[in-house]
Amino acid sequence: MSYKPLTMVRITLSLAVIFLAASCTPTKIIVPLEQGQWQVGLTQGRPQINDGFLPVLGGYAAKGVSDARTNYGGIQFSSLLLGAVQVEGGQVRSWIPQEGFKPGVSWSYGGQAFMSTRDYAFRFYPETGINAYWKKGPHILNASANTWVDPTWFLADYNRGQIIAPSLSAGYRLRYKWIEAQVEYKMLNSIRELHIPQAYIPSTAGLGGRGVYYGIAINF
Amino acid sequence: MRLFFALFVSALLLPSCADVSAAMFAGGDGTYDFKNEWLDPEYHVDESKIHLMNFRSDEDTIYALYVGDIAQIATDTIILYLHGNASSMDNFWETAGLFANLGGAHHYGFMMYDYRGFGWSTGRSTGAESMAADYDAVVAYLESQDLTSDRLVVVANSLGSLPAGPAAAGGSRIAINKLVMEVPQSTSNVIMQNATGLSLPSSMITSYKFDLGKNMADYTGELLWMHGTADDVAPFETAEAAMQQHNGSYYQEAIYQDMGHGLRWDIGDEEWAGTILDFIRR
Repeated sequence: MSYKPLTMVRITLSLAVIFLAASCTPTKIIVPLEQGQWQVGLTQGRPQINDGFLPVLGGYAAKGVSDARTNYGGIQFSSLLLGAVQVEGGQVRSWIPQEGFKPGVSWSYGGQAFMSTRDYAFRFYPETGINAYWKKGPHILNASANTWVDPTWFLADYNRGQIIAPSLSAGYRLRYKWIEAQVEYKMLNSIRELHIPQAYIPSTAGLGGRGVYYGIAINF
Repeated sequence: MRLFFALFVSALLLPSCADVSAAMFAGGDGTYDFKNEWLDPEYHVDESKIHLMNFRSDEDTIYALYVGDIAQIATDTIILYLHGNASSMDNFWETAGLFANLGGAHHYGFMMYDYRGFGWSTGRSTGAESMAADYDAVVAYLESQDLTSDRLVVVANSLGSLPAGPAAAGGSRIAINKLVMEVPQSTSNVIMQNATGLSLPSSMITSYKFDLGKNMADYTGELLWMHGTADDVAPFETAEAAMQQHNGSYYQEAIYQDMGHGLRWDIGDEEWAGTILDFIRR
């Protein structure tokens, strides 16, 4: 028989999905597409839990409505598996064009909607972000800041809500002809301590979470 | 916007509704090798007083351990221990030994049990209903042995606080009048919200909804709440908010600075047992 303290009890992988499914989506579009161009992609988020990474799967579609504006919509398959519909939509706009080594800047805004299929509880989180990017040929480097806004922060139990949930990220994309590959490192919600019972979330100075995200997309 | 709404409507048709509640339970194998050789000498018990039992709970079989004289149930105070999220009662045999010696050797009868999916208990714990049914199966036995409300003490550790809350709030066939909540959780929503930093309700991922604050508000008996401020499994602040909803006949806190979720190991058996014994005797 073993007599382990409760703090040593194992964590199941599925418990970690609580964190993964709800709080982690990668940046969809950094540099607006050309007018009329479509991009359809799959993303795999890999936020860190304990000593490993776990996959969060999502899909998205985007269309350039002009050379400076791209609309996008996405869905998180991992949330669906748990009984929550999580979809997102928004627009990315070119703000400052790139000039040589001076980065281009794009601005995004949109929202994330969640609905429980159990009791139809609904939450909507507007989000906005800003991306600095360097594009040379098929290569795109970016640094981004994004925040979700929680207009229903007061619905959190025991006043645990917060109005904003910011994240910082940096990534690389290879946009070559009809295909785009993406990798992004993201620090999530880095203004509060995230917590899962009997699990460890690697953080930055004790705050937030972090993860690596991959994506693959086709352009047409 | 059309794309957004098309995705939303499509998504409504797809969910499989997997539920994380079952996965949150850390049930596993058990050996039930309850012997003195595994205990510190000071917690040795009379091995003739070790009784492994099983009860029906819906379609499943629940295993329980009683330490003491069976006849004692009709006349003496009985401690019913609802254990934490570990694989089986094996992990709490030392705790059983401690309780069996609380106030003297076999001064109180002691019972604990494995929830469905823990140890030898069959089936799978899935949420409030299965936990309540398992609790009721055990209490029904105690009732059949003539245990009465004035001699029942429920001690709930961590996960055990989840079935203990509704039971204390009126869901126990033997009314609870003395309750110890050791390192309890608070609400299912808090777990979700602490994990995401968002105001998401727990129904996004599980049908297991619990609210110990509401339970404590509805509980009229005596409560001892024990917690460490450095608990990284059941956060102190939200547990405090839930326990302080208690509006019953007596309320006592035992707060330990910088102590964690393994409270008994952190503060030592003497302090842990002494606090509980004082509460039982008051």
